Amino acid sequence: MKNLALMLFVISLIGGTFTSCSKKEIEKVKTLHLYVSTQVKGMDPIFADDRYSSNEVGRVYEGLLEYHYLMRPYTLVPNLAEKLPEVSKDGLTYTFSIKKGVLFHDDKCFPNGTGRELIAEDFVYSLKRLADPKLQSSGWWILDGKIKGLNEWREKNTGKPSVDYAEEVEGLKALDRYNLQFKLTRPYPQFLYALAMSFAFAVPREAVEHYGPAFLNHPVGTGAFILPEFKQTNKIVYVKNTKFRNKTYPTDASDELKNLLEDAGKPLPLVDKIEVEIVIESQPAWLNFQKGNSDYMGVPKDNFASAIQGNTLSDDLKAKGIELIVEPSLDVTYVAFNHDSELFKNKKLRQAMYLAQDIVKQNELFYNNTGLPAESIVPPGISGHIKMYKNPFRGPDLEKAKKLLAEAGYPEGKGLPEITYDCPSSTVSRQIGEHFKQEMAKVGINIKVVQNPWPELQSKVQKRTIMTYGMAWGADYPDAENFLQLLYGPNRSPGPNGSGYNNPEFNQLYKSSSMMQDSPERTALYEKMYRIAAEDVPMMYGVHRQSYVVKHGWLRNYISTDFEVGQAQYLNVDQEKKKSLIGKL
Amino acid sequence: MNIYFYIIRRMAYMIPILLGVCLVIFFLFNVVAPDPAMIMLGKHATAKQILEVRKELGLDRPWFSQYLDIVKSSFTFDFGRSWSTKQEIVDMIKNGAIPSLTVAIPAFIIATILSIVISMFVAFYRGSLLDKMTVFVCVALMSLSSLAYILFGQWFFAFKLGWFEISGYEPVFPQIISYVALPVIIWVILEVGPDVRFYRTVVLDEVYQDYVRTARSKGLSEKVILFKHILKNAMIPIITSIIIQIPFLILGALLLESFFGIPGLGGITLNAINSSDFPVIKAMTVLSAVAFIIFSVITDVMYTLVDPRIRLK
Repeated sequence: MKNLALMLFVISLIGGTFTSCSKKEIEKVKTLHLYVSTQVKGMDPIFADDRYSSNEVGRVYEGLLEYHYLMRPYTLVPNLAEKLPEVSKDGLTYTFSIKKGVLFHDDKCFPNGTGRELIAEDFVYSLKRLADPKLQSSGWWILDGKIKGLNEWREKNTGKPSVDYAEEVEGLKALDRYNLQFKLTRPYPQFLYALAMSFAFAVPREAVEHYGPAFLNHPVGTGAFILPEFKQTNKIVYVKNTKFRNKTYPTDASDELKNLLEDAGKPLPLVDKIEVEIVIESQPAWLNFQKGNSDYMGVPKDNFASAIQGNTLSDDLKAKGIELIVEPSLDVTYVAFNHDSELFKNKKLRQAMYLAQDIVKQNELFYNNTGLPAESIVPPGISGHIKMYKNPFRGPDLEKAKKLLAEAGYPEGKGLPEITYDCPSSTVSRQIGEHFKQEMAKVGINIKVVQNPWPELQSKVQKRTIMTYGMAWGADYPDAENFLQLLYGPNRSPGPNGSGYNNPEFNQLYKSSSMMQDSPERTALYEKMYRIAAEDVPMMYGVHRQSYVVKHGWLRNYISTDFEVGQAQYLNVDQEKKKSLIGKL
Repeated sequence: MNIYFYIIRRMAYMIPILLGVCLVIFFLFNVVAPDPAMIMLGKHATAKQILEVRKELGLDRPWFSQYLDIVKSSFTFDFGRSWSTKQEIVDMIKNGAIPSLTVAIPAFIIATILSIVISMFVAFYRGSLLDKMTVFVCVALMSLSSLAYILFGQWFFAFKLGWFEISGYEPVFPQIISYVALPVIIWVILEVGPDVRFYRTVVLDEVYQDYVRTARSKGLSEKVILFKHILKNAMIPIITSIIIQIPFLILGALLLESFFGIPGLGGITLNAINSSDFPVIKAMTVLSAVAFIIFSVITDVMYTLVDPRIRLK
């Protein structure tokens, strides 16, 4: 026993000594400690196709436009552009002026290792890279069919040993050193949103050519932070770009965010360093947060009950100076029908199934009652969502469901074949599937739950070898079109319309609205589509999830946002407050 | 047979084995796996783009040509790039091997030495209360899931007591100790239970052999019998057990690496499985097959060193 105690003492001494050593070193400079829950896919903007990778890319690279940090609803403002573009009356030509004097990070790819000035041609090159058939970026969809001559350029270069970047594309031109012009094939009001996405960020040709395929590990941008080299490891360390242009913290804000103006007018970025830890599992991430090793994080599902009581933070966490931020997310969960199947062409069957589903219970069981039960496909917070709308087919209403099921030709489910429900292979997805099975059994519908690894599920949806499937959609940009496209017939899979829903009336409305700029007329069309999407029940809507984020008291300016790219430059750490609060952890 | 000739011959056996492994991989790629083009292109993929990517990846070529590609990459160790991270797989393996080994080697050495010592000790006191208690503790250690050790260890020793870092990895000495110590300890605990039971059984098998009775009748002390005679004879199954574990050490510990944020090969494999990143899965499969073959040859050679009666044929 004595030996055991001695051994534990020695272990604690060794571990404890080195633990404290490492912490002291970290705190020398004003550092933001962040965490991500998945591997980052490298630092090439054209491959940053998930939220985590695009957030990392957004610390180093920038685009022409960004979302105003403190404005809601989300509003686009110039970033590398001098001002918002001039748009021709027909909505087909967009002319941008870019900021002068913006420098790329110093890197050995440039002569003498000194970053050169960003010019309009850099955007032409970067967007051609996005279209490069050899690179096959998953972000090509933002430009596919939209810029005059770009698809033809891509087509021409497909299968060739090398891609000809020198060849001019009609719709993508640098007019001079600082002016850039896009000509579109048709009006595309979401084009500006596309330019704010990380896929469209500016990269210098010298870096791409110098590093070759390893470019994704050697980011050279114009952003607020520099990452000397990206290594596929568990930690990414950025340092402040000391040559960052004169960009300042916003001085105006929406009423509800006016409390975040303490740093108004201060030069960005506000911290000297960012350390991003990659922690896949939620327990170590949560424990690390509580120890002060990360500045904020979403509350993990398994810790929700202990951290959140009612809708507020537990007293224990409050006492540690931790704060809770709740914000609705622009997303929707749903169970989609395969509309190619004869079975689901029966509208009454779809409506009956939707009525049999208890979303409120599902919200309670699987989302800790944090989601907002969805009435249709468009989430609240963007135009096209109808406030106070009640979907007449949203369950649970078992009696009505049974009645409709009988009218559909399947009284008490008789004659109805077993319906498969495919879902991802996580535990929660399986539990949701089992709950769905129980709900349907109440009206006599027999469900078989099939779990799939994510790519397998994707593949089944795209090959249409599926009956129903559970999924979620998060906004790529804050426009109802991004959700309504899931139901537009011509978008059927492998496009985003995985269910294959094809309603001529809906299609016509979608087509008309897709040509229109943001206006009350367009919103009216969106609302019509919202109602069709609700009452035709092309899918069974689940919830619009809300993000529950906890942050330490020392972190300033944090707001939960659906578009986090570039957020780190606005965040600040109150070192004095940190010193006082860290002792409580 | 000359030992060098034996090694060359055994290594030559690697060729048909690797061809078989490639065939399995090919089957997995082409029959079981989802379309890689869809995986790479994500939620906005179009039919045209899927065709283009398939062409770019060479998936439109005849099956034997694709099989030959897998064979070639297995023999040249040029596995290309990950579909998911776009990184060179060889670099991913190089970067991941050191963190994995930083945990695996000390854990393996400590666990092996500790297990052999404990098993010899309890074999020496076979039948006593100490022996029974040790077996009981070993069974108890084995009964708990590895996840339970990880979750408790992380919460109690790292979070509550603050003896170690909760997770992460710093490849710099001495900070590295606070990151790897806890996973090493948990690995040792997980390993000691089954190892002690196995080694104890091996030693006890020898204890009742005729040569031990002869040694006793000659008046040799129990210590001499145990450490000079029994241990030597028990080494064959012990060596087999030890060396055969080494290939798995290289591949890392999936759960430990995932929970402790060790950027090793275990984590890489786990991510690859979750994202159906087949080039990485292929590389890890080939790597484990090669390592397994090499270490089984080493095991055979070690037999002859430990027991001169064994001849290589």
